[in-house]
Amino acid sequence: MGVTQTGPPPTTGTAPRTGTPGASTADEPWPVRVVSQKVSAWIAKLGWVWVDGQVAQISRRPGAGTVFITLRDPAAELSLTVTTSHEVLAVGAPDLSEGARVVLHAKPEFYPARGTLSLRADEIRQVGLGELLARLEKLKRLLGAEGLFARDRKRRLPFLPQRVGLITGRASAAERDVLTNTRRRWPGVDFRVINVATQGLSAVPQILDALKILDEDPGTDVIVIARGGGSVEDLLPFSDEALCRAVFACRTPVVSAIGHEEDTPLLDYVADVRASTPTDAAKRLVPDLAEEQRLISLARHRLDRAVTNRLDRESQRIEAWRSRPVMARPHVMIDQRASDVISLRDRAERTLGHRLGTAANELSHTLARLRALSPAATLQRGYAIVQRTSDDHVVRADSDATPGTPLRIRLASGTLPAVVTPDADSAPGRSQVAPEAAVIPETGGDTEDHSDAVPDGGTSAPRTRAPHKTPAARTAADREKNTDDTAPAVDETTPKRERAKTAKSRKDSA
Amino acid sequence: MTTDQKTQPKLSYEQAREELGRVVERLEAGGTSLEESLALWERGEELAAVCQRWLDGARAKLDAAREARSQ
Repeated sequence: MGVTQTGPPPTTGTAPRTGTPGASTADEPWPVRVVSQKVSAWIAKLGWVWVDGQVAQISRRPGAGTVFITLRDPAAELSLTVTTSHEVLAVGAPDLSEGARVVLHAKPEFYPARGTLSLRADEIRQVGLGELLARLEKLKRLLGAEGLFARDRKRRLPFLPQRVGLITGRASAAERDVLTNTRRRWPGVDFRVINVATQGLSAVPQILDALKILDEDPGTDVIVIARGGGSVEDLLPFSDEALCRAVFACRTPVVSAIGHEEDTPLLDYVADVRASTPTDAAKRLVPDLAEEQRLISLARHRLDRAVTNRLDRESQRIEAWRSRPVMARPHVMIDQRASDVISLRDRAERTLGHRLGTAANELSHTLARLRALSPAATLQRGYAIVQRTSDDHVVRADSDATPGTPLRIRLASGTLPAVVTPDADSAPGRSQVAPEAAVIPETGGDTEDHSDAVPDGGTSAPRTRAPHKTPAARTAADREKNTDDTAPAVDETTPKRERAKTAKSRKDSA
Repeated sequence: MTTDQKTQPKLSYEQAREELGRVVERLEAGGTSLEESLALWERGEELAAVCQRWLDGARAKLDAAREARSQ
């Protein structure tokens, strides 16, 4: 506000002009009139100035020519009286009302009569809403440029505040909202409330004071500035520059909860946290105890269910495996093999039986054949076998046994020892066997022809032999035959040979 | 084929369960000798017991925790 040009000379009321006495001293004090005249002169020196202020009071006494206005500083608790005329008022700010922001062109004046000072305005302009908002916008840019709105300067609210400082109107809706909602969410929360004017001139100063108190209180770890809805003018204090700077300077985090959702005073930008409404502020201040507990129990519940499901699933799986036939009834495995063994054994038995059977058949068959071939049957029919006891040679010709050789005659049952007796009337070299033993030509052993073996029990007819050879020829053939009687001719009757051997071995061992 | 008690505790639940699966499959496939089948069956039972022990342990822990919480 530069100094303006000087206006008309001051009219100093009706005080008589007096000389300028010397300096005032205790002995020669100045009278009041001198002092007030000097004061008046000093004051006049300021000259005309443009003044920005807020109308605290306005008195338009119809009768009186002048209008008296109490003009307050927008931020500080200072005010001055302004005198103006109805005309000036009507021209500049026709419907001026309390709280309005004005800019006026005035000159300070001193009234000696009552010793009062006042500004005499010759021009008043009401600062319109548009003007105000424009001013706000400018301030906003200014503060923004200074970095008061910087996001990184924002401080986080404590998750669970120890004590909440609340700056709000006395018994206001905002106060109730913040207190009830916060306590509902977290009953244990502790509040320190400082009630202030939340609109009009004294709002800002009071809020600043409260802010200072709460910021310095170590116990308070978050401050809330809350106010219900209101007109733009009502919310003006919350865009006040001084307030914004103070909030920015605060060490304690500040929550701004001004007006409705759509209201955004500058405080919203400066504060650490912007709550759209006082109720919303409660949500940001404290966690909801009930909600937190619900979340915890929900988590626990899901935890339990997950683990239980897993356990159930796994034990079912194990049970499934355990109940598989191979595991549940292992003896099946053993029974299986047992029955295998049994069937094998049966088969073995059967085959054995079978084989025995066939073997038995074979045996009997062979036996039959054996019997058929053995001389026993022949002996049965009365024949006898003569052998030389010396070498068991079967006597087939009288030449085989010279007189005196001991013989053994084998009968159907038993044997008879015998000796060859000389033959009185036959040619030498012929031997005669005691008449009572008739030597039958050999039917077993050495003869080649067995084809017509006599079945047991049949009438035994002497078998025909090869055409009759002369005795000499026979004896030569026989002799040649006898020498190698040990060589096995086609020898069917094993038992006879056996007997020959055994007799021989007996003779050797005797 | 049977493992002695010493290696039992180190067998994790998953390992025991997997081996149990294999044992059952081999048994069902058949074609194993009598000794082998018996041994397999025994091994199967052992493994099932191990798994069961793990599950019972876990369930016990769960119940204990729940109890502690409900006090």
